[in-house]
Amino acid sequence: MTPSSVEELSDVVASCNRSGERIAIEGGNTLAGMGVPVRAPYAHLRTASLTAVVEDAPTDLVVAAQGGITLRNLATQLAAHGTHIPFDAPLAHQATLGGTLAAGWLGPRRHLYGRPRDYVIGSVAVLADGTIARAGGMVVKNVSGYDMSRLYVGAFGTLGIIAQANMKTTALPPHARIFIAPLPEGTRRRALASVVSLRIAPAAAFWVEGFHQSIDGEDGHEGRLIVLLEGSAALLERSTRDLRSALGRAGVPETQILDTGAREAFGRIVDAYVSCLGERSVTYRISAHGQSLVDRVLAARLLADRFELRADTLADAMNDDIILRVSDLDSHALGAKIAMFDDAFHDDEPGATVVAGAHPQRASLNVWGELPDAFDRMRALKARFDPNGTLNPGRFIGGI
Amino acid sequence: MAAVSDFIAIVGERNTITEGSELRTYEADGLPGFRVRPAVVVLPETTEQVAACVRLARALGMPIVPRGSGTGLSGGALPVEGCVVIGLSRMKAILEVDLPNRRMRVQPGVINLNISRHLAAAGYYYAPDPSSQSVCSIGGNVAENSGGAHCLKYGFTVNHAVGATIVTAEGDIVSVGAHGGEPDTLGYDLMGVFVGSEGLLGIVTEVLVRILRTPQATRTIFATFPTTDEAGAAVSSIISAGIVPAAIEMMDQLAIEAIVAATRVDWPLDVGAALLMDVDGVAAEVEHTADAAIAALRAAGAIEIRSPRDDGERALMWKGRKGAFAAMGRISPNYYVQDGVIPRKEIVAVLRDIARLASEAGLRVANVFHAGDGNLHPLILYDGRIPGQEALAERVGGEILKTCIRYGGSITGEHGVGFDKAAYMGDLFTEDDLATMQLVRCAFDRDVIFNPNKVFPTPRLCGDRPGIYHPHAAELAEVAGRG
Repeated sequence: MTPSSVEELSDVVASCNRSGERIAIEGGNTLAGMGVPVRAPYAHLRTASLTAVVEDAPTDLVVAAQGGITLRNLATQLAAHGTHIPFDAPLAHQATLGGTLAAGWLGPRRHLYGRPRDYVIGSVAVLADGTIARAGGMVVKNVSGYDMSRLYVGAFGTLGIIAQANMKTTALPPHARIFIAPLPEGTRRRALASVVSLRIAPAAAFWVEGFHQSIDGEDGHEGRLIVLLEGSAALLERSTRDLRSALGRAGVPETQILDTGAREAFGRIVDAYVSCLGERSVTYRISAHGQSLVDRVLAARLLADRFELRADTLADAMNDDIILRVSDLDSHALGAKIAMFDDAFHDDEPGATVVAGAHPQRASLNVWGELPDAFDRMRALKARFDPNGTLNPGRFIGGI
Repeated sequence: MAAVSDFIAIVGERNTITEGSELRTYEADGLPGFRVRPAVVVLPETTEQVAACVRLARALGMPIVPRGSGTGLSGGALPVEGCVVIGLSRMKAILEVDLPNRRMRVQPGVINLNISRHLAAAGYYYAPDPSSQSVCSIGGNVAENSGGAHCLKYGFTVNHAVGATIVTAEGDIVSVGAHGGEPDTLGYDLMGVFVGSEGLLGIVTEVLVRILRTPQATRTIFATFPTTDEAGAAVSSIISAGIVPAAIEMMDQLAIEAIVAATRVDWPLDVGAALLMDVDGVAAEVEHTADAAIAALRAAGAIEIRSPRDDGERALMWKGRKGAFAAMGRISPNYYVQDGVIPRKEIVAVLRDIARLASEAGLRVANVFHAGDGNLHPLILYDGRIPGQEALAERVGGEILKTCIRYGGSITGEHGVGFDKAAYMGDLFTEDDLATMQLVRCAFDRDVIFNPNKVFPTPRLCGDRPGIYHPHAAELAEVAGRG
């Protein structure tokens, strides 16, 4: 089913809800590796034909678009008048607006620009019974009624399908520059600490070990530091000086600077968050907030090593996020170890979630980490919004 | 009175109010013109006491009206007959400051400005700055999703209150959103929907807020214009150029007159409008942004552009702006403040419509507002001693809201719907939209025990159970007699 209007979407959903047919909602399929697949059997509902830009008001820095538009197409339209929305979601040519919001994607520049959900100012959602529910509007400040749009963001479609999202936009930073530097073991802690405490915060900063095929760059075997700077020419000039001298003090050898193609290089790093090696890998995401990022990356790598799994890690120093991809030579080899690794890893990192991996065993892993305190309230919400369990049943935490 | 003694058993006699003059304070909040006497007011000091009060009220069938500092302007804390008001003003402890994670955990009664004061020496602050920040509480800010002048760049309470402990309608204590250092928690964004829910979903008893480093540099710019047309156009051109000042506030001639009369600012009185802007950030960026903003102000026809001579003058300018509502007393016996939002490109057109509405009604309207967000605050001036003028002012206020809706805007940007604007929700949303919001309420409070008769235009029940029984005041008086 690929409805081409919100009304048609509403009819299709209402009809499934009446007949007891479950619906699996599909956007660009780029974040399908997050969470658990929908409980079969189900009907496939694709948002691929809901691609209209409903209202574009560049002078007001707001835009409204249907949920099935790809992030790249939306970005192209916004860039034409010098604006953007910093989704930082993988595979932007394929990822959809609705899907990215529904998955609650959090990208590496959010410490500076905010999360995608912070840009949502209104929505049109189709609920399980076909109700077309609007919330918010096209103004940037609004407290009229509950902020319903926030509920659909990160709900994996289990409360309603995001048929349209109204978003704030912001000026596209005029310049971008990427620094790449080797990060020998002895320099890591000082280098990362100095990068995060720069007065002019970098747009993104990563310590990468592995992911060779996904991210270009000469890294040897000691890992590498990748820093993205964005802003006006004057700001970039200043922050480049600051960064160079901070890294020099931390003992980091010569850095390589990339101006042309900096955004593309950044895009490849974001793509790596969910890059899969077919059925040979499973990728986890953990938040290291408040703890030593370096220690937690090293602990995760050590654990993978103990299970004789290959580990690729990508540590986002500005947000204290860690992406860990564990892999083996083939699907069977991974299958023999992954459940035990998953248990051991969650002992260390109870909040670790699975974000990518096509391995058949994925559904049996603890893909969501530990349940939140308010889970009962979440279940109550689901019961109110979708009493028949029509929308993406089983896809979300705790079997919601 | 059985109920009172039960509440006293929970919070103590000192924290239970049942007597006339003391009770009178709680009959209204910042919304003038409406007063309802609650049956009892309790001022708990702990989360457990709040929970026990909720359980008791529930058992007694009493509706609950939560209250922060009582500064709200939409009647969100207006009591309903026979209710217990749970005031959070005694819960004002700062529980934890976590500078490495840029988090602070506070009780709901902490005054907004006290968070920043507490952090100032360490070089941090809390961004949302409602004009009432020296008296309003963080719990009330969470309930209303409060904004303020500097929200243009930094966002609203929902962007800064990242987690909370709440007491539910069942009297359970539940943690929503982030609760440690972690930035985001799994599951539905309950914190996102709780912020701005106006006391209908639960009572917040602890708030985890994000704190920011004090900007390295701040540049304040004051610009005057012949009329609001040029000032409005300047705002639109700054926004459309992608320039992001921390704040852009607009004041029209009447507002300037009131502010000058109430403070010592030396703003000219012979101009039609003024903009007060802050540009902040790292020094290199501030100069760049300020220059771009000043160029836009000039191009739009600014008469004079100046910066304060020192921090003292800067503080005075902002004090003037933030005290603008109170300053209205200098030019009018009474005023009625409205809060509407419009697309920023429509500022000029909407201000003209407001002027026309005022002129037709024979009333004066002063405008002082968050122009960068398109968040209007028309202050309708009237004389309450003249029969019919108060009602006329309210009618003009209503017409202004309808104007905002007509231009694609909204009926409230930061003051909330509360009791005051519930009737307009049907103009903004369809029945389906409102029914969908009601699903959330029912998931949290199926008996509609929290803050009944607020936000939604018609009383609603949750379907699967009869609504909670709301005893009539006279009945409660009888209960008192039995005690």
